[in-house]
Amino acid sequence: MSWLERISPPDIISTNGHLIDSLFTYTTIMACIFFFFVCLGLFGFSWKYSAKKNKVVDYTYGNRKKQLKMTLVIGLLVFVLIDLTITWRSNNDMINEFWNFPKQDEDITKVEVLAQQWMWNFRYAGADGEFNTGDDVLTNHDLHIPVGKKVEFRITSKDVIHSLFFPNARIKVDAMPGRISRMWFQPTKTGIYDIACAEMCGTNHYKMQAKLYVHTQEEFDEWLSEAQHLATIGNDTDNLDNFWGWKWGDK
Amino acid sequence: MTYAHGKHAAPTTFLSKYVFSYDHKVIGKQFLWYGIFFLGVGGMMALLIRWTLAFPGEAFPVLGNLLFPHTNGIVPPDTYSMLFTLHGTIMIFFAITPILIGAFGNYCIPLMIGARDMAFPLFNMLSFHIAVISGALLLGSLFTPMGGAAGGWTSYPTLSTLVGSPGAGQTLWCLSIFVLGVSSTMGAVNYITTVICFRAPGMGYFDMPLTIWGLWLTAILNAIFLPVLGAGVILLTFDRVFGTTFFLAGAAATSGSGDPILFQHVFWIFGHPEVYILILPAWGMVSDFLSFFARKPAFGAKATALSMTTITILSTLVYGHHMFTTQMSPLLTQTFMTLTMTISIPSAILFANWLGTLYKGSIRFDSPMLFSMGVVFVFGLGGLTGLYLGTVSTDLYLHDTYFVVGHFHYTMAASVLLGGYAGTYFWFPKMFGRMMDETLAKIHFWITMIGLNGVFMGMMVVGFAGMHRRLYNPFVYEFLEKLIPINKFITYSALLMGVGQLPFVWNFVYSLYKGKKAPANPWEVGTLEWTIPSPPIHYNFEEIPTVRCGPHEFGNPKLTNGRDFQYQTEELVE
Repeated sequence: MSWLERISPPDIISTNGHLIDSLFTYTTIMACIFFFFVCLGLFGFSWKYSAKKNKVVDYTYGNRKKQLKMTLVIGLLVFVLIDLTITWRSNNDMINEFWNFPKQDEDITKVEVLAQQWMWNFRYAGADGEFNTGDDVLTNHDLHIPVGKKVEFRITSKDVIHSLFFPNARIKVDAMPGRISRMWFQPTKTGIYDIACAEMCGTNHYKMQAKLYVHTQEEFDEWLSEAQHLATIGNDTDNLDNFWGWKWGDK
Repeated sequence: MTYAHGKHAAPTTFLSKYVFSYDHKVIGKQFLWYGIFFLGVGGMMALLIRWTLAFPGEAFPVLGNLLFPHTNGIVPPDTYSMLFTLHGTIMIFFAITPILIGAFGNYCIPLMIGARDMAFPLFNMLSFHIAVISGALLLGSLFTPMGGAAGGWTSYPTLSTLVGSPGAGQTLWCLSIFVLGVSSTMGAVNYITTVICFRAPGMGYFDMPLTIWGLWLTAILNAIFLPVLGAGVILLTFDRVFGTTFFLAGAAATSGSGDPILFQHVFWIFGHPEVYILILPAWGMVSDFLSFFARKPAFGAKATALSMTTITILSTLVYGHHMFTTQMSPLLTQTFMTLTMTISIPSAILFANWLGTLYKGSIRFDSPMLFSMGVVFVFGLGGLTGLYLGTVSTDLYLHDTYFVVGHFHYTMAASVLLGGYAGTYFWFPKMFGRMMDETLAKIHFWITMIGLNGVFMGMMVVGFAGMHRRLYNPFVYEFLEKLIPINKFITYSALLMGVGQLPFVWNFVYSLYKGKKAPANPWEVGTLEWTIPSPPIHYNFEEIPTVRCGPHEFGNPKLTNGRDFQYQTEELVE
């Protein structure tokens, strides 16, 4: 494995993950340019104006008009080239993509997520299309979704704060007890990927991983119908612990 | 000044001179020893953490079997959580704060503004003794049946409530932080008053050395925001001990319901200014030292002071960028992002002024200067990497990864550590009347620089590759397996950095007793502390000096006294 492969982030599997990488790249280029000038000053002046080479200093407080202008220009350059640009880009990305949640009537995959020490529980609506009923499909550690279709998660936690992290989709959101947080992305590639807990949640935090299976639509339908069948015959409806879900749309 | 008439006789007994001393110089040194002790403890913890990340499941060499006999020398997962929790807590509250603020603040403020002592000497003494109690509480928590706190230095509920952390360790952690807050607040009130009331006649605010500016602004932030943290941890203690539900919600809240996110707000209202609390003294010192050793007036000193003030104010308005992943309202998120970004304007002005000071100077590369230039380098990296985290969308990916860890170590650990060393090398002759060895100091500088850049740059690299924080064994994740070699590199760099501190320890201890006698003004600078003998006498100044010029009068072509600088007590040659 080359060093470049080693240090690059995992493959992108979502329609909008590249936005984050490209903003990262822009910020990196700008940071490198400005840091280059800092180093140029630091090392260049050290070399040129060392006590050995330069005995007579420029006696100035740096408050001449020209110097003040220069300082101000540097400040403004940083503000416009870096701050304004990345704030503007990031804001657009958030409004157009990451905060632009699927509409009510869109055909999407809906998943409710319950985090607990140290496991991820996933809930699909099941055959009746309603959440928190006896026929819901319940999985833990494994999340199955179809490719090419938006998936929305509604997330909460049973005990402590966790954070649902899809490295391949470049996105994470906290799972908090007493609150429901939301997240969506649209997978573009089939395959098996890692899901991580990103927020410290106790001794076994490092073990709190799950797997993301992105299927083709046909494979997913097959998996879902089998899972629904198993749910109708196998769910223990007497066990209240299985009813940790809530009506989709309820907060 | 009425104070000037109330001189007491110098203490004579050991207890009154070294333990229960009202003298700011002694208290400063007490804080220095205290800080260096905890720096060692926190550093050892860092090495244990790094070892675990590079060699998961392998016994820690040499000390492992002694420390963890039940696991054959391997760091167990619960101990690992305690290690990173206490590493963070100790480094921030028990190492950096006492050294930068406790030691240099106490030692330098009265000397550099021409005062005989602090405004409230009793407060000052208590501030140290209370800090000792706090340290004892924290170290004591390690010996409770279930061990010390293990919820991260941020101690987010509900993990830090009984839901996630039973046992006395976390409660003692809360109390320890509360007590330390009392100590630091006492110190802060003292510093603020001293700077406002006890400046020598003739010294306006802009005639103060920038070191004093940094310490003063830090004290203001401390006085305002440490009580907020105190309130937070006291409520957390109530939740733990008395069964209240301030921070409990969901299934865990059996009677009534609070909100765990409330704690995050309270914590970061304090926590973001805390970053600047730690770095401002270092900025102040660096701004001074660059001028002192470039033998040139500080470029735009007034603008530097005002930029630091602006950053101080802005730092109170941006804390929300620590909480982007909690899904605050979009409006709040956008506001915090925009405010965060504006901090880079005053920061850019600081950098422009630092480099402007070097331009056309006559630079002497003594050890305090090397460390100061080191600060400019690492803070450049630390500041610029903050951009990624202040931006909401990139933060979605980078939040809670090692990129964050690398970033805040560059700003808080690297910059502040190098700044602290610069100060130590610079004021050692003032404190103890002897010089530290320059060759050892330079070896110390270069090894530290190489080591710390290896560590913190490495952290940012693995962070960008997706490795998240606080994992006992990150390599249980398939996508992180490829990062083992880089983690090994980071650990080797950390070892190098650890070894690099040995020349400093040796240099410090040796010079204390056997160092070359310091000349009256070894660095040839004109601030007030160098107008009196080293170490200074009891009550510092026989006569309260009158200030007649600024602290950075170097290289004035009209000078005829054979020196290239002026003391602040001299009339400006024009």
